[in-house]
Amino acid sequence: MPNHAAGMVDPAIFEHLQEKIDEDVTFRDALRDIVQQLEKQTRTAQAILSRAHSTPSAQTSDVVRAAEAAIRDEITTVAGLSVQASKQPYYKWNDVWTRKMQDVCQTILFCGWLNGFAQVGQDGAGKLLTIEEVGGVLNVPVNLKDSDAFHLTIEEYLLALVSLIEELARLARNSVTLGDFRRPLQISQFIKDVHAGFSILNLKNDILRKRVDGIKYRVKEVEDVVYDLSLRDLLPKDEEHT
Amino acid sequence: MSRAGNKRSATEAFDKSKMDNRNVKDDTSKPQSPFLSMFEGFRAELDEHHDRRERVIKASRDITAASKKIIFSLQRIRTLKKQIPLFVHKANQQYWETIETQYTAISRDVQGINAYRYRSITGGNQEFIEALTFQHYLEQQQLISYEEAKLRVVKLGSERGEVMLTMDDYVLGVFDMTGELMRFAITAMAMSGQLPSGDEESESIPQRSSKMDTAPQSRNVLTDLRELRASLEKLDVPYSMNFGRDIGKKMGVMRNSVEKVENALYGLVVRGSERPKGWMPELTQGSGREEIEGY
Repeated sequence: MPNHAAGMVDPAIFEHLQEKIDEDVTFRDALRDIVQQLEKQTRTAQAILSRAHSTPSAQTSDVVRAAEAAIRDEITTVAGLSVQASKQPYYKWNDVWTRKMQDVCQTILFCGWLNGFAQVGQDGAGKLLTIEEVGGVLNVPVNLKDSDAFHLTIEEYLLALVSLIEELARLARNSVTLGDFRRPLQISQFIKDVHAGFSILNLKNDILRKRVDGIKYRVKEVEDVVYDLSLRDLLPKDEEHT
Repeated sequence: MSRAGNKRSATEAFDKSKMDNRNVKDDTSKPQSPFLSMFEGFRAELDEHHDRRERVIKASRDITAASKKIIFSLQRIRTLKKQIPLFVHKANQQYWETIETQYTAISRDVQGINAYRYRSITGGNQEFIEALTFQHYLEQQQLISYEEAKLRVVKLGSERGEVMLTMDDYVLGVFDMTGELMRFAITAMAMSGQLPSGDEESESIPQRSSKMDTAPQSRNVLTDLRELRASLEKLDVPYSMNFGRDIGKKMGVMRNSVEKVENALYGLVVRGSERPKGWMPELTQGSGREEIEGY
């Protein structure tokens, strides 16, 4: 056994490093457990919400009620995540949960668009919950800048919003299948309004840019649906004369 | 609903040319998107974020370049455990200053919640650690500890707040430093025919018969490299962590460096005085992996 005290490496250096690594692994694993739970609950919420594609809009309130209940489970888990995550610097670990928080955010946005969370935002289908409103539903701060704690970031909200757009483009076609010719118009306008918003952002070459670039195809998809309907004179009459 | 009143007419929806012309400014005929003010807020936030990120990327690049130059000068040193020669010290002064300027410039951008946000600083941090640990080794024949290195970085940004040195960057910088030790050892062996050793009395001149380099009480670059290798190999970081994957990438290169010095020493011992003055061992042999930076 070489004499360590006289060697190049003070053994305390690597003992200390290993301690820190072990702490990190323990902390990360605790986060992962919570995030896995959240993932499961989010899948449940998404499964419920996807019933909207096969439910006539007059009856979506059942879907919305069920989704709200599933989202309440997500909220409980997010509260636990928030407590755990806030113990350490936010950006040291945020890659563990950022994808899941986007998905959670998307379920809330979709549910809100279907007129869930009636007490939040304006009443009626087709509403966009703001980042503050989503934060309110989740009971977490948003876009935190002056303190280092768990929160919902702008990027997470915006990426969730892109996912909402994709979901709605699908919903536009499925609404037609269900005989609802009014909803595609509503979706078309909504997507265009959101797209107009995105187009004023100065995006860099990152994941957000890539996802946002896809919105224009969703705009076109929904316009094609509206076009198909108008060609066959299927659009609601009151819409045509405004 | 406020938007219900201004739905676009169906005929307008035909207009496919609008597809490519989605900028709000151009749509003067139509009411503005109700979400614009919200997105204006996002734009301001994202712009700030991107500006910070770009400043950090630039600083990281400059710190990397300056650190590489420092390392390059340090490689002109042939002694161990001695003060840095004046000519090297003088040459490197400006690069240490550059590094300090760069850390100070971005320290404001990496405060509070942003401490771990801009990972692009990682490149600069690792290269800086490589230079710092290498110089520290040449001077003292010791590995500078994480705490000490961290303190050095803190000091550099101190005017406007501390700059964080993560444990990951420290360890990965130490990994890279093994490549510099290899270069240092091999150059010294080629020039003087012996392994650099800090110990004045027991210069480790390899001889065919008598003392082996493994004599327990004598330390030289190779024994130090082996000790460092053992310490680095012992670190237990799961592959599921990014840190674990980064270590995995560097491990092979580090082992190669140690073996290159071992092979060179073997050559020195076996061939001994047959070796022509100034002959350099072939460094590239047997390394199928990526080469050490700058070599």
